[in-house]
Amino acid sequence: MEKISQSVVKKDHAPKVSGRSVYVADYPSEGVLCGKLLRAKVARAKVLRVEVPELPEGYFYVDAKDVPGDNNVNIVLDDTPVFCRETVEYIGEPIAMLCGPDPKVVERLRDACKVEYEELTPVLDLRAATEQFFDYNFGHGDVDKAFAEADKVYDEEFETGYQEQAYLETQGMMAEPEEGGRMFVHGSSQCAYYIHGAVARVLGCGPSGVHVLQDVTGGGFGGKEAFPSILGCQVAVAARKCGKSVRCVFDRREDMEYTSKRHPSLCRYRVAVKDGRVTAMDIDVIFNAGAYSTLSAVVLQRGIIAAPGIYNVPNVRVHGCARKTNTSPCGAYRGFGAPQTFFAVEMIMDHIARDLGVDSLAFKEAHLVKQGDTTSTCGKYHFPVPIPVMIDEIDKACDYRAKRAAYAKPQTGRFRRGIGMSMYFHGAGFTGSGERDLIKAVAKLRKYKDGTVEVLASNGEIGQGVRTTFPKIVAHELNIPLDKVYYSHPDTARVPDSGPTVASRSLMVVGELLRRAAIKLREQWVDGEEQEVEERFKEPDFMIPFYIDKFEGDAYPTYAWAVNAIELEIDTHTGLAKVLGAYGSFDVGTPIDYNVVLGQMEGGFLQGIGYASIEKMDYDAKGRIRNNSFSDYLIPTAKDVPNLKCMLHVEKYPDGPYGAKGAGELPLVGAPGAYLEAMEQALGGVTLNHAPFTAEDTLAVITKEGI
Amino acid sequence: MADIRFTLNGKATAYAGSAVDRLLDVLRDEYRCTSVKCGCKEGECGACSVLIDGVLYNSCCVAMGAVEGASVVTMEGFRETKRFAALEKAFGEVSAVQCGFCIPGMVLAAEALLSKNPHPTEDEIREGLSGNLCRCTGYNAIVNAVNNAAKEGNGLW
Amino acid sequence: MVNGYVAASLQEALELRAAHNVVPYAGGTDLMVENRPGVAYLFLNKVPELKRITVDDESIRIGAAVTFTEAIASPDVPQLMKEAVSRIAAPAIRNAGTFGGNLGNGSAKADSVLIEFVADAKLRLVSLRGERTVDVDKFYLGRKKLDLGNDELIAEILLPKQGLEQYYYEKVGGRNALAISRVSFAGVFAAEDGKITNVAAAFGAVADTVLRFKDIEAMLLGKTLDEAKALKADYLRAYAERMVLTRGRVSAEYRKNVCMNLLGDFLTKFGV
Repeated sequence: MEKISQSVVKKDHAPKVSGRSVYVADYPSEGVLCGKLLRAKVARAKVLRVEVPELPEGYFYVDAKDVPGDNNVNIVLDDTPVFCRETVEYIGEPIAMLCGPDPKVVERLRDACKVEYEELTPVLDLRAATEQFFDYNFGHGDVDKAFAEADKVYDEEFETGYQEQAYLETQGMMAEPEEGGRMFVHGSSQCAYYIHGAVARVLGCGPSGVHVLQDVTGGGFGGKEAFPSILGCQVAVAARKCGKSVRCVFDRREDMEYTSKRHPSLCRYRVAVKDGRVTAMDIDVIFNAGAYSTLSAVVLQRGIIAAPGIYNVPNVRVHGCARKTNTSPCGAYRGFGAPQTFFAVEMIMDHIARDLGVDSLAFKEAHLVKQGDTTSTCGKYHFPVPIPVMIDEIDKACDYRAKRAAYAKPQTGRFRRGIGMSMYFHGAGFTGSGERDLIKAVAKLRKYKDGTVEVLASNGEIGQGVRTTFPKIVAHELNIPLDKVYYSHPDTARVPDSGPTVASRSLMVVGELLRRAAIKLREQWVDGEEQEVEERFKEPDFMIPFYIDKFEGDAYPTYAWAVNAIELEIDTHTGLAKVLGAYGSFDVGTPIDYNVVLGQMEGGFLQGIGYASIEKMDYDAKGRIRNNSFSDYLIPTAKDVPNLKCMLHVEKYPDGPYGAKGAGELPLVGAPGAYLEAMEQALGGVTLNHAPFTAEDTLAVITKEGI
Repeated sequence: MADIRFTLNGKATAYAGSAVDRLLDVLRDEYRCTSVKCGCKEGECGACSVLIDGVLYNSCCVAMGAVEGASVVTMEGFRETKRFAALEKAFGEVSAVQCGFCIPGMVLAAEALLSKNPHPTEDEIREGLSGNLCRCTGYNAIVNAVNNAAKEGNGLW
Repeated sequence: MVNGYVAASLQEALELRAAHNVVPYAGGTDLMVENRPGVAYLFLNKVPELKRITVDDESIRIGAAVTFTEAIASPDVPQLMKEAVSRIAAPAIRNAGTFGGNLGNGSAKADSVLIEFVADAKLRLVSLRGERTVDVDKFYLGRKKLDLGNDELIAEILLPKQGLEQYYYEKVGGRNALAISRVSFAGVFAAEDGKITNVAAAFGAVADTVLRFKDIEAMLLGKTLDEAKALKADYLRAYAERMVLTRGRVSAEYRKNVCMNLLGDFLTKFGV
């Protein structure tokens, strides 16, 4: 193992393991007002009036009228209001915030508010929804000709559900007015500068009127990419009005029902096959965006770019849209649109293979992309595609091919087994030219007189290890002990904007800036002096320029690759599935810390297995999320997948630090495909089209098929 | 009316509030034991785990009246022990801590397990930690850490 | 103590129960989730008479404040009961949760109550007025309705000493731990001289209370295995007709299918 990959004790280990870390809810309450949101109880209505009870002294009612600047939260667009406008668009939309010193009194006052609605008909059915936030088309080749010449055309629809991030720490933000008028906003979050920009606009105070600190954050997984901008604006407006610090920490049910989750999807795949090969795919992707657009544009972009999978398809047409429904707005979640389409493409490839009488794995292998091939957006796979080797690694780890053949034979008895495989990539970094045109990351190193070096960047530690891996890179390059380099939680008052903590970009993009900065510092190093160096993002020169209007060019500079296999056993009496083994080979380039990367792979893979199997969330006929607690929305426990084996395959990326690529999102993306393939086999070769696939779904198939 | 008397991290104390108050809230708000995390308030996540007379409980599901006369230990107290040092080291060596929110509860669950069963099998470790949700790690590293602590901390439990 | 009373003995507990408007508190795992406003609790977790597991000539007597963890560790508690309560939630909940609380909460999902139904357990209820013993199925009057006076406490659960050796148990939850039963099933079987003497079947989490149909069970009592096999289809049909499931997050159709599959498998396991 390379030196840089050797694991160290993480920098934030001691405070976290001893319970000393201060999360936003842990600051003392003295002098801090508790904020609680008054939320809409109907999915779509005009708000005619709000009758607010008489407020005791020191208690405040804060709504859109109190917003000093603009009542829109800047995310990708700015359609999300801080507090509702004339209408409410989903159950739970914030109407106002009640603030005061005693949380119980605040809650009582909030519950005593009477909201008069003029109800409007909500749109809840994704299929029937007509309002589109985003609509994209792209493709290449002659799809119509390929379909006309096809031996056979396959046409299937695939559906996926919500997935809730279920970070253990709920959303929470706090705003503190500082002397001189500057607003200090801090809390559980991934993207300090996103919040900074959003709050400055809402307060109408300009960028210098606010600064944002990321507190210790109890998990994000995308859920704290954009949402803290909304909550940050709400507490900032409240703090401005109250003239005091205001903190709002969600309870679990509130968090599960009303914060952003993974987009439910409907994907229709039409596939042309000639002479046993896929010649064309005509793909239609629909995402349920919820009531506001938030991050749907970019989630959808990533989803549709991945839609043909990792297969060479000469003719491709993709249409994708994000539709508005009157439900909680969806947003970022690890994988960012790609888990939905990878699920669909893995399943259709599997189904075609079965129909052609060949094994799914052989069929997929025959279509695999390789270095030099064209991507779905007419970019190029510039680097080696290690999937064939990784398939062999998985085969070796779990005897995949032999089991796949064995379980394909007719099975009898109460328990039946299946094994399935998925293969996929994750495009590292922002989609398209985002890094170059939008983010323009800047990172700095500051050396102090005593020879310690501080990393100045805006990427937040959310468990993925950047407080350790950033300093590791710098210490390695400067050849100084790791304890001489440190990285604190970012405060926009003192760190440059190195971009958000998203898109598996921090280590690959910002880590590389830091490596270059460290080289610069090494060359300029003068003992006993305070010194600062800076590096700015430069797009690698091999990139084919990407044009988002045409979806053409290199959507990503490089890709992280993965192969997953899942072996399971179903109980035909109960429909319960036991995961006998989950095996993942992951190529994220050089691990900057072996344990850190392995931990990301294991955690992400288990989230993916949850997404495939037990994590079911839905809304009722009124648009209310039904699964709003940890007893109704089940995530895996320590006992659910004990045999979870992850291995790292290293295909270095020359433009990442020491060959590292994006890592965080990859392990979640492919689990549903592998899980459902295994499930199909255990159920005797049925065709399945949706995830999650629960015990109830399994038993329904068993009953219907008479298994 | 008499206060509720109990021991918190080895120190005798008295609580004058209501017997129906949640131990979780009282520990965090009155005693500033903020290592005790609130993840759900429904006994479904284990982030608020504490030891009461050496036994693991979800402090969100304990009313103050039930701790009358009992000894309550949170991470604020446990982190001063040798057993903690062994667990801290073991968790650190395998990077079992990611976001950290579940960890104080997880470590106390490990302590509760090892104090009853100093040499648990992997299945027993998973059972012992099964009430403590972790969304980050996939549990493998945590299970390995507890296993290593049991081996290396021989004699501590 | 504000809003609470700690009883040191059963006598004291009964006096407090009679004198005040209090909610009996044993483990807290259900009460604290409900978090009803304006209540006062009567803490029973230190009442020695309620913390014991004893055995007499006929019964295994489990005190109402005995926790699930304590029961699992006891040499006297029948294996069937241990298996069921060891599947409850996770260690911290089993350390707190009690047999009395499981009954008193009134839920048809209560895992220990299912076993009490299939075992024909009796409950000893006490008050200052005296005591009475009721059959567990009579204790449940309807959804969350219990035959328990405002001055009464559940003191003990009486399980038969014999007859629970041959059993069939399945809990169907959403995952391998921290799972609330979606369906739970327990069956107890006994035969003497080639004839069936007991074929009890109980279903949890499917209706307002645990379900058991003794009249359908009677179809097979006194029958040989061969005779029972011939009746099996009628027996299963009778259950299928009788079982009306309440709606829930997980569909009634699914839960009923599971019930019928497990019931059939129960008979198969014992040769019927």
